[in-house]
Amino acid sequence: MVSEVPTKTRPGGDSPDGRQRSRSAELALAPIAGLLILAVLARPQLVSLLDRPAVANWATVFVAVTVQALPFLVLGVTVSAGIAAYVSPATLSRLFPDRPVYAVPVAALAGAALPGCECGSVPIARRLMSRGVTPAAALTFLLAAPAINPVVMVATAVAFPGQPEVVAARFLASLIAAVAVGLIWTAMGRSDLTALAARPAPPSPRRPAEVFAQTAQHDFLSAGGYLVVGAAAAASLQTAVPRSVVDAFAESPVLSVLALAVLAVVLALCSEADAFVAAGLKQFSLTARLAFLVVGPMVDVKLIALQAGTFGRAFTLRFAPLTFVCALASASLVGWWLL
Amino acid sequence: VTPLVGGTTLLLVGAMLIRLTVTDVYQRYVRVGMGPWLLVAGVLLAVLGTAAVVTALRKGPAEEHLDGEEHDHDHEHGDRVGWLLLVPVLALLLVVPPALGSFGVDRSRVTPGSSAVFDPLPAAAEPRDLTLLEFDQRAFDRQGQSMRGATLRLTGFVAQSADGAGFRLARYQIACCAADAVAAVARVHGAAGAAPARDAWFVVTGTFQGVGKDGVPEFAATAVQQLPAPVDPYE
Repeated sequence: MVSEVPTKTRPGGDSPDGRQRSRSAELALAPIAGLLILAVLARPQLVSLLDRPAVANWATVFVAVTVQALPFLVLGVTVSAGIAAYVSPATLSRLFPDRPVYAVPVAALAGAALPGCECGSVPIARRLMSRGVTPAAALTFLLAAPAINPVVMVATAVAFPGQPEVVAARFLASLIAAVAVGLIWTAMGRSDLTALAARPAPPSPRRPAEVFAQTAQHDFLSAGGYLVVGAAAAASLQTAVPRSVVDAFAESPVLSVLALAVLAVVLALCSEADAFVAAGLKQFSLTARLAFLVVGPMVDVKLIALQAGTFGRAFTLRFAPLTFVCALASASLVGWWLL
Repeated sequence: VTPLVGGTTLLLVGAMLIRLTVTDVYQRYVRVGMGPWLLVAGVLLAVLGTAAVVTALRKGPAEEHLDGEEHDHDHEHGDRVGWLLLVPVLALLLVVPPALGSFGVDRSRVTPGSSAVFDPLPAAAEPRDLTLLEFDQRAFDRQGQSMRGATLRLTGFVAQSADGAGFRLARYQIACCAADAVAAVARVHGAAGAAPARDAWFVVTGTFQGVGKDGVPEFAATAVQQLPAPVDPYE
């Protein structure tokens, strides 16, 4: 009786190879268990830390950014896993033209139709690439979807009552920036940078429901982990940068545009909320605030972390600065023309 | 990451979202309207996580891991950072950060503009409830003539226990989450007794008394009453 137990509890585990594998699976649980134990032991210290207002402020903003983004992330992951499991590459390639010059504007307009936050569009863009959509078009979609969707436009109109030109300027400047980045990316011809994400998934013998569940889990874990990094960065900057520093920049017209563009990157606000914050930044010119609204949904610390996790560091090192410059230039030009 | 570990993480994050929504604690961090979406996301994650855990347990450790490896092939760099999601889960399980308090008021004060124009408040016997934001906006709209003489009631927390001849009352507005909070403030005087504690909640009844030199509207209170902190601390 007793001699049967090992083979029963561990099917296939009797080969040395198999034992090795299940041990590494157990090891993977170790850091999680360690973190749990540490956190429970340190609870009194953690609670007394919250008595310091700055720490409490940090913790609140950190949890708020994470909690606020999670539903949008779940939406993005669901759409992405749905594409992976149920949409054939042939269908997608019919939607998106093959030539990047046409595919990029189509992707920008497709982005306008999908309401959601920036975190949700990262996994979707990656999925589009692996399903054969031109990388430049997928990246344009990534930039356009959170910046110019209907929810964001309505939020902007509500935040700037009686100033429809702000809504128009935001739409136009974001669209121009997204298309410009897509076209420049095509011209750069660095398809090696997106090769990893664009590699087609091997045809799976599994049922679509299984593919859906696995893709959703993987995408959620990788994006969610980086979201936490970004939320921590945003909370740190919000807690540490004093207001007087921000005010000092507001006085110069050129500096104020730059300052608000940088502020958009470090604050990492949700694109559906940033208009309300911009409306409150009354010391700054409208063009500076437009830069804030155009840059924010396209480049911010949370997105940079997410993109680095999804597409790799080498990619993000080029893509984020390129996007920042295009968004800033587009916002300055449109702002000078319309506002 | 094996399906077992990944599934457990999903389940934990889902459970956190469900708990936040059911206990209404989520209102400290995001807008009240987000509640249903948080619940839907939490249930979805919990279902996905449970399904992954059940499948992994039924397959047994060896087979499960073989599967996981094959999966890793199409995503080289991967989901190992997913364990970071346990940080907010633990933070909420162990300490539950408070709603935003007096710390951030000065760095996120609204500067009301001249864009909004208000109709005069109708004369009424009862004190009229105003949000602190509307109070500030009316104060900056034609020197506050739309609410002169009206008896008003404001609710907020103490941002400074000593400010001029009184204390400073504040309340945050949030558009989406606590990261985008902006505060509206008023200086309350006329309250008898010791200076109130920072971050204590008060409802004050009185009248608008012009705007101070530092741009803070003044409020002459006839009644000041302390309150427990509201479930939804934002306007």
